[in-house]
Amino acid sequence: MNNKGGSKIIAMYWFVILMIVAGGIFVMVSSFYNHPYDIREIEGEIMINNIANCLSYEGKLNSELFDEEGFSQEFSENFLENCHLNFEVEESLNEEVQYYFEIDFYKSENLEISTFNIFKGNLNLVAGYEIQEEKEYEREVKGVEDSFFSLDEKGEELYLIKILTIIKKTEKNVK
Amino acid sequence: MLNKIQKNNKAQISEIMTWIIATIAILIILIIFISASSFLAQKTKTVQAQNLEIDFEKEISLLDTKTLIAYSFASESQRNIIEKWEQENE
Repeated sequence: MNNKGGSKIIAMYWFVILMIVAGGIFVMVSSFYNHPYDIREIEGEIMINNIANCLSYEGKLNSELFDEEGFSQEFSENFLENCHLNFEVEESLNEEVQYYFEIDFYKSENLEISTFNIFKGNLNLVAGYEIQEEKEYEREVKGVEDSFFSLDEKGEELYLIKILTIIKKTEKNVK
Repeated sequence: MLNKIQKNNKAQISEIMTWIIATIAILIILIIFISASSFLAQKTKTVQAQNLEIDFEKEISLLDTKTLIAYSFASESQRNIIEKWEQENE
């Protein structure tokens, strides 16, 4: 019996198998690397560090934080400009602000009640942060909290400063 | 001679049959690997500072450093407040 034609058919089929395997590898790699990394926690920590550097230097609070009557409202209102913070994001994201931060100052006599408060950014992100523990909403926003102690300019009063930063940017960090 | 050929009832599996089984096996393995890679990709790839290999003997939190500096300038009573708060929040 003449089976010479059989080897030619099998040779073609070999290339078909190769293409199937190559396609499978392509699908695996693209499905894995198409998912972005979520860097919002690191971004939040960097924001906290920048805010802390603006508020406190060499163990003492920034003198511009205070005026004759106590904490300066003017410094609070112009906080972004004073501390060189920029909330602008790339155009592909929605027009709404993607960041929020809140700073609370506590006097050493009472570390439970905030003496002064500064907040800037999108207030709506706070609600997302409060329900972050639910699995359904854990990727919506990412919040980072940290705190430190600092003395006032004269070194007489000790303050606890708590900083909370919340970042949305869900489209860029989650798929 | 012809009788021998007619009585020969041994079946022979062609080479094509071998390739069909091999194709099915390859497809099953591919489906398993694609499913596994999709499942792994669905888990959010979060980058945390703790996951990075940092030499913690050299790298200290900035905010902890600020607290340490304030502690060094603080009075005795203020230091006690800082120590107490750190113990409660460890």
